Amino acid sequence: MIRVSKLNHFYGKQRALADVDLAIGKGEIVGFLGCNGAGKTTLMRILTTFLRPASGEVFVAQMDALRRPLDVRRKIGYLPENPPLYPALTVGQYLYFAARLKDVPARKQKMQVDKVIAACSLRAVRDRLIAALSKGFKQRVGLAQAVINEPPVLILDEPTNGLDPVQILQVRDLIKQQGSERTVLLSTHILSEIEQVAPRVLIIQKGEIIADGKQSDLLARAGKKNLEELFLAAVRGEE
Amino acid sequence: MLKTFDIAMKESAGYFRSPLAYVILTVALTVFNAFFFLIIDQNREAALTDVFRVMEFMFVFLIPLLTMKTLAEEKQTGTLEFLLTTPTTEGQIICGKYLGTLFFVSILVAITGIYYGILASFASPEAGMAFAGYLGIWLEAAFFIAVGIFCSGLTGSHLLAAILAYAVLFGLYFLKSFNSYLHGPAETVLRYAAVMTHSENFFVGIIAAADLAYLGSGILIFLLLSIIFLRKR
Repeated sequence: MIRVSKLNHFYGKQRALADVDLAIGKGEIVGFLGCNGAGKTTLMRILTTFLRPASGEVFVAQMDALRRPLDVRRKIGYLPENPPLYPALTVGQYLYFAARLKDVPARKQKMQVDKVIAACSLRAVRDRLIAALSKGFKQRVGLAQAVINEPPVLILDEPTNGLDPVQILQVRDLIKQQGSERTVLLSTHILSEIEQVAPRVLIIQKGEIIADGKQSDLLARAGKKNLEELFLAAVRGEE
Repeated sequence: MLKTFDIAMKESAGYFRSPLAYVILTVALTVFNAFFFLIIDQNREAALTDVFRVMEFMFVFLIPLLTMKTLAEEKQTGTLEFLLTTPTTEGQIICGKYLGTLFFVSILVAITGIYYGILASFASPEAGMAFAGYLGIWLEAAFFIAVGIFCSGLTGSHLLAAILAYAVLFGLYFLKSFNSYLHGPAETVLRYAAVMTHSENFFVGIIAAADLAYLGSGILIFLLLSIIFLRKR
C-alpha cells in the first residue's frame, strides 16, 4: 500500500531523511517511533504529498505520489500533529467542508458525515463551534475529517498528543477501530500506545530507519523486555 | 470549480462571522457617506468622481486588513496542511480565497450604489460615467485583493502580511507623484505602472482597453504568483 525507496530530504543543508526505504502492506498498522526532529513528520508529510522530497520514489496505493499527487491524496486520510481545524465553523460545517474537498460525492456526504460523527462520538457537539471544544473533542474532529472519505491509508501524527488519560483511551479505541479496515501509519511518543495498537514498529533516527519489523521479532532479536527498552537501545545505538 | 466555490463560500462566510470585517464595513461606509455628502455639497455637481477617489484611497488602507489573514492564518494554524493534503489544487485554493474576499468587497461597493440613486433622485447624473466609475473602483479593489493575497502567502504572520501589502499598494498608489522627477522612457514606465493613471480614467467616465488590461493583468499576475509561491512551499 505504501512503498518508498531511496528517499532523501533536506532543510537547507540539514539532511532530514537519508535514503529511506520502506514498504507497508494493505491492512497493516505500523507504529512510527523516533525522537523529536528524527524525521517522522517529514516522512509523513512526503507520504501525504504536502512536501516534495529532494530525491527518491514514493508510491501510495500503487500510484506515484510525485506524479499523481491529487490521486494519492484521494487515498490518504491525514491527521497532522495539531488537528487542522477552523475554529469559526461548527463540527458539522467543518466535516461537510472536508467531505466536499475530499471528493465525497454529494449524495453520500450526509451519510459519511453522520457516519464519522457516530464513529468518533461527536453527536453531542455536532452543532457546536470548534473554538468551544475541548482538546479531546478537537482531536476526534481531526480524526473524523481524516476518515471521512474512507481512505485506504491513514496517517496519524501524534494523535494523542496533549490528551488526558481518558481521552487517550478514547482516541486509541478509535484508531483500533479504524485500523481494522485500513493501512495505518501511527506516529507517537507514547510507547505503550504502540505496544497496544501496532503489531509492527518502525524506528527512525537522524533521518534513517534504524529498526523495522514485528514488535515480537524486534524484542527477541535485541533481547529486550519491552518496547521502551528496545526504543532506547535503538536510538542510543546499542547492539 | 466546485471546490473553488466551496473555499470561496467558507472564506466569505468567515468575513461575516468576524468582528474585524464588520468594523471595516462600518468604518468604510461611514467615511464614504461623510465624503459623499461633503463632496456633493461643495462641488454642486451630479457626479461621483471625487467619491470614487476617496474610495480608492480608503481601499489602500482597508484591503490589506481584509486579506492579511487569507493565507497567513492557514499557515499559522496548520489548516494549509489540511487543504494541501486533500485533492485540491493550489489554483483552486488561491482562486477560492480570492473570490471569497472579492465577494465581501463587492458587497461594500454595491452598497455605495445608493449614492447614484440619491443623486438621480435630485439631479440627472450621467449613468455611463457612474457605471465606468463603479467598474473602475471594483476592478481596482479586485487588483488590491490579489496583491493582498499574494503578500499573505509570503508569510505566516498577519501583521507582516498587512505591512507587505501596504508597502506594495502605497507604492502603486503614490507612484504617480514621482512622475515630475523623471523624463523620457522612465517617466512613461512609471506613469503606466501607477494605479492612479488607470483608475482616474474610469472615474471620469472613460473605459479604455489599456486600463482594463492593466488591472486585469495585475490581478492575473498576482494570482499566478500566489499559486507559484504556494507550490514552492
